[in-house]
Amino acid sequence: MSNQTNRRDFLYGLGASLGAVAFSSLLEADDQRPAAIRNRLPAGTPEADAPLAPKQPMHAPRAKAVIMLFMEGGPSHVDTFDPKPALNELHLQESTRTAGLATGKRFFVGSPFEARKVGRAGIEMSAPWKFLAEPEVADELCVYRGCQAESLNHPEALLHMNTGSRLGGDPGLGSWATYGLGSENQNLPGYVVMTELALPQAGPANWTNGFLPAHYQGTRLRSTGSPILDLNPPSFKTRAHQRQALDQLAMLNADHAGRHPEHAELAARMASYELAFRMQMAVPGIVDIEREPEHLQRAYGLDRKETADFGRQCLMARRLVEAGVRFVQIFSGGWDSHDYLEKGHASRIASVDQPMAALIKDLKARGLLDETLVVWTGEFGRTPDNNYRGGVTALGRGHNADAMNMWFAGGGTRRGTVVGGTDEIGAEAVDVVHPIRDVHVTMLQLLGLDDNKLTYFHAGRYKQLSQFGGEAIPELIA
Amino acid sequence: MVDRSQSANCLRANDSGVKRRWKRVPVNRVGGARLQRHAWCATGTFLVVCLAVSTCGFAAEDRGSGDDGERLFTLRVLPLLKTKCFGCHGVDPDDVRGEYNLLSREGMIRGGESGEAAVVPGKPAESPLYQAILWEGYEMPPKENDRLNAKEIEYFRRWIVAGAPWPSVERQAAIQRTEWAVRENEEGRIVDTSGGISDDWTYRRYQPDDLWVFQPVCSPDVPPGAEHVVDAFVHARLTSAGLEPAAEADPRTLLRRATYDLTGLPPTLAEIQDFMTAWREDPPTAWTDLIDRLLASSHYGERWAQHWLDVVRYADTAGFSNDYERSNAWRYRDYVIRAFNQDKPFDEFVIEQLAGDELRPDDPEATIATGLLRMGPWGTAMIPQQEARQIYLDDLVHNVGQTFLSMPMRCCKCHDHKFDPLPTRDYYRLYAAFAATQPAELPVPFLPAENRGRFEENEALVRELFEYARSELAKVNGKQEAAARKWYADHELPYKDEKARKNDPEDSKPPRHVGLTPEEQGIKKVREQDVWIWQRRLERYQPMAQAVYNGQDDHKNSRKLRPPQKVKQDWRPQNFILAGGSLEAPADPVTPGVLSAAGVPTGHGSADPWGLPASLAGRRLALARWIASDRNPLTARSLVNRVWQYHFGTGLVKTSNNFGAKGARPSHPDLLDWLTADFVVHGWKVKRLHRLLMTSETYRRSGRPVDAEKQAAVDPDNRLLASFPPRRLTAEELRDSTLLVSGELNREMGGVPIMPEINLEVALQPRMIQFSIAPAHQPSRTPAERNRRTIYAYRVRGQADPFLEIMNRPNANESCEMRDSAAVTPQAFTLLNSDVMTDRSIALALRVQQEQPADESAWVHRAMELAYGRVPTHNEVSRLGDYLAKMRAYHARHQPVPVKYPTQVVRSLVEEFTGEPFEFIEKLNVYEDYVPDPKPWTVDADTRALADVCLLLLNSNEFLYVY
Repeated sequence: MSNQTNRRDFLYGLGASLGAVAFSSLLEADDQRPAAIRNRLPAGTPEADAPLAPKQPMHAPRAKAVIMLFMEGGPSHVDTFDPKPALNELHLQESTRTAGLATGKRFFVGSPFEARKVGRAGIEMSAPWKFLAEPEVADELCVYRGCQAESLNHPEALLHMNTGSRLGGDPGLGSWATYGLGSENQNLPGYVVMTELALPQAGPANWTNGFLPAHYQGTRLRSTGSPILDLNPPSFKTRAHQRQALDQLAMLNADHAGRHPEHAELAARMASYELAFRMQMAVPGIVDIEREPEHLQRAYGLDRKETADFGRQCLMARRLVEAGVRFVQIFSGGWDSHDYLEKGHASRIASVDQPMAALIKDLKARGLLDETLVVWTGEFGRTPDNNYRGGVTALGRGHNADAMNMWFAGGGTRRGTVVGGTDEIGAEAVDVVHPIRDVHVTMLQLLGLDDNKLTYFHAGRYKQLSQFGGEAIPELIA
Repeated sequence: MVDRSQSANCLRANDSGVKRRWKRVPVNRVGGARLQRHAWCATGTFLVVCLAVSTCGFAAEDRGSGDDGERLFTLRVLPLLKTKCFGCHGVDPDDVRGEYNLLSREGMIRGGESGEAAVVPGKPAESPLYQAILWEGYEMPPKENDRLNAKEIEYFRRWIVAGAPWPSVERQAAIQRTEWAVRENEEGRIVDTSGGISDDWTYRRYQPDDLWVFQPVCSPDVPPGAEHVVDAFVHARLTSAGLEPAAEADPRTLLRRATYDLTGLPPTLAEIQDFMTAWREDPPTAWTDLIDRLLASSHYGERWAQHWLDVVRYADTAGFSNDYERSNAWRYRDYVIRAFNQDKPFDEFVIEQLAGDELRPDDPEATIATGLLRMGPWGTAMIPQQEARQIYLDDLVHNVGQTFLSMPMRCCKCHDHKFDPLPTRDYYRLYAAFAATQPAELPVPFLPAENRGRFEENEALVRELFEYARSELAKVNGKQEAAARKWYADHELPYKDEKARKNDPEDSKPPRHVGLTPEEQGIKKVREQDVWIWQRRLERYQPMAQAVYNGQDDHKNSRKLRPPQKVKQDWRPQNFILAGGSLEAPADPVTPGVLSAAGVPTGHGSADPWGLPASLAGRRLALARWIASDRNPLTARSLVNRVWQYHFGTGLVKTSNNFGAKGARPSHPDLLDWLTADFVVHGWKVKRLHRLLMTSETYRRSGRPVDAEKQAAVDPDNRLLASFPPRRLTAEELRDSTLLVSGELNREMGGVPIMPEINLEVALQPRMIQFSIAPAHQPSRTPAERNRRTIYAYRVRGQADPFLEIMNRPNANESCEMRDSAAVTPQAFTLLNSDVMTDRSIALALRVQQEQPADESAWVHRAMELAYGRVPTHNEVSRLGDYLAKMRAYHARHQPVPVKYPTQVVRSLVEEFTGEPFEFIEKLNVYEDYVPDPKPWTVDADTRALADVCLLLLNSNEFLYVY
């Protein structure tokens, strides 16, 4: 690279920023990328060169994007998609199971919910699932009952499911996905996270870029206030004001770059301000779900208090994926039913049931379900028995790392199927049993990525999402 | 082998392969004979041995006699099969992939489910196994990381050519014994260690290159041609690369570079003027005077402590599910700052942090220093006790390794190290060295040097929140107990309080949470948690320290860690190698010890040269002395490299936390050794090292290459330092600089954590902890309290300051060896739009207006001077002047809306038991009497317009980069 080229590219990059160019061309992100950035680095160092530019998958992908619906707290499998009639027989009988942190006297807890088979495929679900039970939705699901977690504590288990490591500090699933594939839309973050007002346990460590370059960190789209922190200038500064400021800044920086032609990094910084300006335009458009037809808003449950929040996020997820965002994750809390299981789980199910069903139908109607992998999971399952909390028979369940359930839809997963199984009381997975890492490997494989090749050299070794390798679960893949 | 321990010289191959003689460093004088066994500083005699040995190697050609084939199999093929193939094709008889079992010659030849023979002896080209390892057709082993390299594939090929012989176990053993007797051959060198799990590991061979850091430090001859030792070594490599070094940077650039490097702050206008005057008179003296002045500045300690805190992962909270406050962590932070400012010899600094309590039990400073052993994230909630203990010790072993020895230890928790001569035994010997170390908050008197300013005032604010939580809790408890009394009365039973009735049968006590609505049940839990939180924070103001004691394992709740009433002096931990890192799989017992591969005996017990005392106390002190020993080849190299890195952007070894085989090689090994030897011999003084580095031409070079194109082609990463590498300000430097330039920085040092203003949405956003929501971030009450240097800011593991985080401040859970400065888009949002930056720009505008009250036309000029430390050009001033005029018109038409600070916030939670949402109030008492910084709505339109100009200056690359 010669200094001359470098200098010319600066000016090219700046010329486009000086307000004279129509907005439509501003949206063509690739053209805005100074050639200095594109050409400076040898092939094979994509993370430094327009890090989120779309990259070729490693093999033919089944899914282009992921929507991960994370039920924080540990949804009970035996009360959702893995009903256990044998457990109901044991209700309130003493349990002598020894597992996990179980201590003291324990008793079995039958499910407070009826269960039934739904759809043509006959997938079992507990009664509170009404919308998901509609055949056109249920028959899209691939329920998996064989996964085993390792941690019994929420933050570690959350981190394990979201980053492949219990200890925190490793990159999130979406970081690996965007590191491997980039993103289709350069005006939006490639990895978007939506949470409830309160962050889940372990907080942003669930969507950190870890040791991967900072470009791959999850960006939180906030449900209230500014959708991205400080996305917009203070209210007394207009967009035109912002444009003027950027133009002045560009001139200051151009003068400075002229004095430091050898310093290539400056171009990337200058470009980042322009991308920020475009993102300021693109993000409010994406989050403005009022643009969606009213019937669709109603379908997602936006008109009802208990479903409005999660419904809005599901609808947003569809809009993001449609716009080319690679990985969207939504957290929904409150599933940690140690007591009052019936009330707790029924209200949680009611808050997500309709929005999730609407999401699947909406994706399907738009032809997006085939290329979008929807994942529903928690951090672990729950125990078939409970301890006497405060010395009282509490109808709830403890944490269970040996059994859980999750489901997938679209993105190349097997439709209308149940894979794997737990023992007759749901204490432990016994069929098609796999650790969390294998679920991760499977997700990567569906995205066209090979966990063994999607590596990053850090702290002395090539690191990968599965830590030390895993295997895909063929039963889940269509 | 020849005993070379008394050898006065050591010899080593340099880059060109020519042998050269170097002087041994006097400090490496050793009495023990064992030490030198690892030296690859060999005498001539040894080289002859080497050559002789090489004839024992394998013949390169294909003829492959039966003998060679058997040796190939035993020494090359079988170990590869074990590490890369048996996992899927043998070890587990119930799960043999593709029904292909490689455990025997018959199985290997027969092949798997395809029915086709996998190996045709004598004919590799017709053997599918050979094709598979070539990744032609099949790809085996399937993982990229496990793929065989060309050399390994060649072993297989030649072995198949030789007829694929599979000698008996006895014959294999005989072949191995012969092989092991040769310490060094063309395959590499065997390293003496405390021994691996298998002989294969114990006797494996390393490339000498990969062992560089385990060699004693030599003091090489300084190459001729330069006055300064650093330049001599750097020029030698530049010359051989054909690169011409850049000219000296201009004095203004040098001043800014040195001031940022040593203090993390920009030079003030007065400092610039003084330096320029001195430089005009006598540049060399001006330069050395400057270095002396900066090293004597107390900001030096703040800047360099920050580097150390990055490595040791400083935070004010404990992480994990509760993220409990480490109320007195600030005392360790201030200890580190003092240590750097006092130029405490680094070996002493090491020993105090690892074992200050054992070294000087009655010295508060020494106990505070052991805060290092409390830096890792740790908690006990919902984690079985033994596992929590293991997490603590694993964290210590790994981090002590990478912090002091640049040797990450995590890999050998589960197995002997795959690449370095670190047996898992040594991991568990280090583990045993800490096995009596127990974390606790200990009473430690305050020191006169510690800042206890505003203690009473701050404590009162915390106490108010504590009392509020207590009274709210008392309300629900009162209601519950009233109902309980009624229940007991109704049942004609005597009343028992909540604790007393806990274990009563269900029919003889009231229901849990009797008398409470689901909402009140939630509130009870929240307030119980609040009481704990504020109680912990009150301990900030107590003479306590986050420290350790030596004692027995007992039940630990990380909410409150106190030593037991009685330490059992005869208690000794039992330690084992934990196979696969599992508590369930204890294997060989181990005693405390050090890293054997370093070749430095501990001097405790002659039978065990690497052993440490197994007494209850004293393990750590012995370990610390070994780490800080003049003879330890790792410790001083590690520190010298870190200091180099913080001056030149990249270490001589790029991976400053990892000097192992998978870390980087030194770019200038001789320079690193020379500097290390010099550092040790002169008493481990860090300030002396700064002077040495900074007086070099290499440090004073301009960032402008003489021939940029050539430099980019020959040395794209600028490892040879033909020009000086620019860098972006770190997050802390950026915040501190904006405060300094705006005139708001309070230079007060030390004390309990300060609370800067952070993004209000983040400050108030609820953050889940185990049973509740963590308290909101409330800024310190007055500008003087909060506008202090960033190193003093409260650092919460669970909630980063968004401004610092976006500017690449690392998370505090992992050791950070080097800051990232990737330009990510949201940085632009923060720097342009955040309240924090708006406030700084307004403060800077006010400062400019105050300094130039009479002359509005001088505003832009002055603002640029303050921000950039230089006289702006006419063109710059006129352009920004036009912009200012436009902005004055704009702001006259746009009035900002005042933001009110909330004095309380309503929290909403979903009750864990019932799934029912409930609300409660969190008090934000600081805001009741809050003194804000100047805000857009407290200044006039002209100030806001000037602030727009200032904001651009603070966003510009000239402000953000150091050249």
